Amino acid sequence: MKPTIAVIWFPGMNCENEAKRACVAAGMDSEIARWNNAKLEKFDGYLLPGGWSFEDRVRAGVIASKDPLFDSLKEEAKAGKPVLGICNGCQVLAETGLVPGIKPEAQMALAPNANPFVSGYYCTWVKIKHVGKKNAYNAFFKHGEILDIPIAHGEGRFISAEKGLMEQLEKNGQIVFKYCDANGAVIHDFPVNPNGAAANIAAVANPKGNVLAIMPHPERAFFKFQHKEKQMANYGDAMTLMPAARIFESMREYLKK
Amino acid sequence: MGEVDAELIRIQGMSDRQVGEFLKKNGISLKVEEARRIVHLIGRDPTLTELHIFNIQWSEHSSYKSSEEWLKLLPTKGKEVILGPSEDAGIVRFTKHEGETYGIVMSHESHNHPSQVVPYEGAATGIGGNVRDVLCMGARVIASADPLRFGNPDGKHANRVKYIASQVIEGIAGYGNPLGVPVIAGDIYFNDSFDENCLVNVVTLGILKEKDIVHSKAPPDSEGYDIVIVGKATDNSGFGGAAFASLILDEEDRESNRGAVQVPDPFLKNVLIRATESVFEEVRKKKIPVGFKDMGAGGIMCSTSELVASAGFGAEIDLDKVHVSMHDLPPFIVACSETQERFTWICPTAFTDALLKIYNEDFDLLNISQGARASVIGKVTKSPTYLLSHQGKTVCNADVQAITAGIKYQREFKPPKQRYTEPDLGEPKDYEKAVLDVLAHPNVASKAACYKHYDTQVQGLTVIQPGDADAGVQAPLPGCSAGIALSVDCNPKVSRIDAYWGAANAVAESMRNVAAVGAVPLCLTDCLNYGNPEKPEAFYQFVQGVKGLSEAATQLHFKGTQEPVPFISGNVSFYNESATGKAVDASAIVACLGRIDDLSKVITMKIKKAGSALFMAGERKDTLGGSVYYDLHGQTGANIPKSDFVSERNMIYAVTDAIDKRLLLSCHDISDGGVIVALAEMILGGEADGEIGAQVSFDEKSPLWKALFSESGGFVLEVEEKNAKEVQRIFSGHGISLIKLGTTGGPQLVINDRISLPIGKLKEAWTSGFRRAMA
Repeated sequence: MKPTIAVIWFPGMNCENEAKRACVAAGMDSEIARWNNAKLEKFDGYLLPGGWSFEDRVRAGVIASKDPLFDSLKEEAKAGKPVLGICNGCQVLAETGLVPGIKPEAQMALAPNANPFVSGYYCTWVKIKHVGKKNAYNAFFKHGEILDIPIAHGEGRFISAEKGLMEQLEKNGQIVFKYCDANGAVIHDFPVNPNGAAANIAAVANPKGNVLAIMPHPERAFFKFQHKEKQMANYGDAMTLMPAARIFESMREYLKK
Repeated sequence: MGEVDAELIRIQGMSDRQVGEFLKKNGISLKVEEARRIVHLIGRDPTLTELHIFNIQWSEHSSYKSSEEWLKLLPTKGKEVILGPSEDAGIVRFTKHEGETYGIVMSHESHNHPSQVVPYEGAATGIGGNVRDVLCMGARVIASADPLRFGNPDGKHANRVKYIASQVIEGIAGYGNPLGVPVIAGDIYFNDSFDENCLVNVVTLGILKEKDIVHSKAPPDSEGYDIVIVGKATDNSGFGGAAFASLILDEEDRESNRGAVQVPDPFLKNVLIRATESVFEEVRKKKIPVGFKDMGAGGIMCSTSELVASAGFGAEIDLDKVHVSMHDLPPFIVACSETQERFTWICPTAFTDALLKIYNEDFDLLNISQGARASVIGKVTKSPTYLLSHQGKTVCNADVQAITAGIKYQREFKPPKQRYTEPDLGEPKDYEKAVLDVLAHPNVASKAACYKHYDTQVQGLTVIQPGDADAGVQAPLPGCSAGIALSVDCNPKVSRIDAYWGAANAVAESMRNVAAVGAVPLCLTDCLNYGNPEKPEAFYQFVQGVKGLSEAATQLHFKGTQEPVPFISGNVSFYNESATGKAVDASAIVACLGRIDDLSKVITMKIKKAGSALFMAGERKDTLGGSVYYDLHGQTGANIPKSDFVSERNMIYAVTDAIDKRLLLSCHDISDGGVIVALAEMILGGEADGEIGAQVSFDEKSPLWKALFSESGGFVLEVEEKNAKEVQRIFSGHGISLIKLGTTGGPQLVINDRISLPIGKLKEAWTSGFRRAMA
């Protein structure tokens, strides 16, 4: 039987349909679950999509992170079920402390982009490099592999007030993707690092590797037709799965075990 | 006519001067003779509420009182048209997929006046209204485009122009991004005719199954059905918005005009869209007959009266049941304010509880947005009267058809006296500098700093993003090979010189743009932005514009038939004029929607490989009137490009045929700045990261500079050498002889022995111009 992923929708989120489409195209079942009646326990995994949960009042993701739903989601995560947060979902996961998840409380936040070209919201294609240790999402990535992927956010700069946290994450292999240039060089300056994130972090996992928070949008780099300057031989080719789809395929494989 | 309890305004007992003073004091822009017509129409003196209702319904914005007779000239029918311009949006047949026929819903609106006064909110609510227009047809909203016109960023109003431009862009981003509607196309022009009146147009697309269309009218036999309003609590914001849109903007009234602009709430709209999609699902599943309409201009009054009037019914509404966020509002404000984020449903009483539950409980409107909810406010009546009660009193009791019929005017028009002449500019002293100056002109330069502030990819359907090609492309139904392309166009300076050709060229250019990615033009929409229609010279421009649109859409007909490409929706915006009488450049802004049967065939404008052949379609003519080159020399000129419709349509047929056979590597239309800009943009690509240059030569029998900078329509094509013969054959089959320009390759753009510019310099000029203008 296929595993079923709940795409958890909080008011203001807006990437739920394509997130569900990606889960299905990667060979899983998926349902959009409303925040106020989600029966979490019946699902095999969870996805928090992008958008503006509760208008991102106060700070991106923080209001949703206080929702009672997370009491049970934390239990499910503790039991090893996969939880993937994309963009606003990533911001929410950071605010809950599910990532980096070394301590029970929030250790990181997503600050406003530091971007000399466009201030505020910025939508563009970037490159990220896979650098993480094995987890639920990277079974099909080689170390150092580079992906094309879009970002679309105003607050994507991973920061932490905790001294030594970034070094610890590096050491633990919890930093899964980093912004890089075409040759894989991790350069801190714009445009390679599009938002000024500490240690060029694009995605970070919890120590167990079943929770992943990623700022770029793998569901928008999933099919070939979504990529920039592609050449497509026929419509079948347009629907070819691209490297970012492997995040979802890895989630599927993880759930088989 | 019907009785009322509210106090009557004794129009009949007043002198013309007294009526005029009364209207002005109450902020009613009706003319004295119009107020007297109301008395005649309803058979008694009106109440204040009734006066306000007619004020809105008879505004230019709501009644199209000056424009309607001319709009009949536009072709609006076609075998693929499911719904022409009659409801909130038009619908065109798109494709069959898995046994279902799908349509694309398209709407095109302006929010010019509000954006000039309060640019962030004005632009944001412009999107909000247009999105509602598409959603209320039962569609999923999938894309938008934003044609923008701002004043001169270096002129005497520079500071305000830059402020308005940046705030409009912020407003579009601040509203459209959270909603989750990607921006896939748009354009921006700056010139001083827009100093005191910016233009902010919006085009929105949606998709639905043909069988799932929801109409903006009460269903048959709906007597006794409930009238339900949903969304934000009504306040006094946007009161008089429709009437305001039909006034000349006076800088001195800026403060008082602010109140006529609505307050946007994209968060609430995001939730309302999803809740409404749930309602759609429910009514389809249970086959419930419903009517559904956006609440825009004229608020509750306009929305409810049109819903019932269009089906031959009347309505009885209790304004005390409207959920409000301000107390003691007079009845005409509750009825007519344009508070954003609201809709009206008409549904059978047996379904009402389910409808209320979806909004109020499932999506929890009551708790997530202060005061928002769904409320039953009245009933559909058999008697065709429109009854409004407030605090136990009847404040409006009039024939609903009289309210919605509007009024018509036959406006005078005459050609303007202004004559344009052609300047005598010699050859540029420094060709390379001239090219770089054109590339850095803010109307030509890369707009990446604008569109990267928009979400261009949300929903995951985007195939070609803004900037990468002449049109944006989407895959609206993943799993189905058909795609759509969208472009918006109108060159303001060409239209200034000649409103007819400005409009006709806008149709041609928008079609060229969708053809350049490989899509076949399917339908059009227009937003007609002009000055004061009461001035014969301004109205002449409007008349000429409509004629130009009509002629071009007819002449640039579908391949293989004589059927015109239809206009399926549109909008007219008059009074884009400053208090000193300065009108904007005539702007018949056209959007073209194209279809491509196999979206894997789409191409962008960026050069793909070195060693391919570059061809040009469309010979260069001495038509620099309104060009960027003249603009840089402080000239307007007179010789504007005039579309040769026969060769124009044949070029479009040939380009789409060649792309269909996968014979073109890249393609770019020739427009602003001329062929030199087309070549430079092909080298750079939308991201300005191109690395393949080109060597090109032009025959110098006529002056080279005129060839390079003339803005006559055409295409530049990149073709692999091995396919060159076949491409030439396709074009000559359509009667078009291609001109070979040269080959791709090398690190520069080389033209004859006059120009040799490294790619880095092209990039620097092209990527700096817009940012400099906005700084």
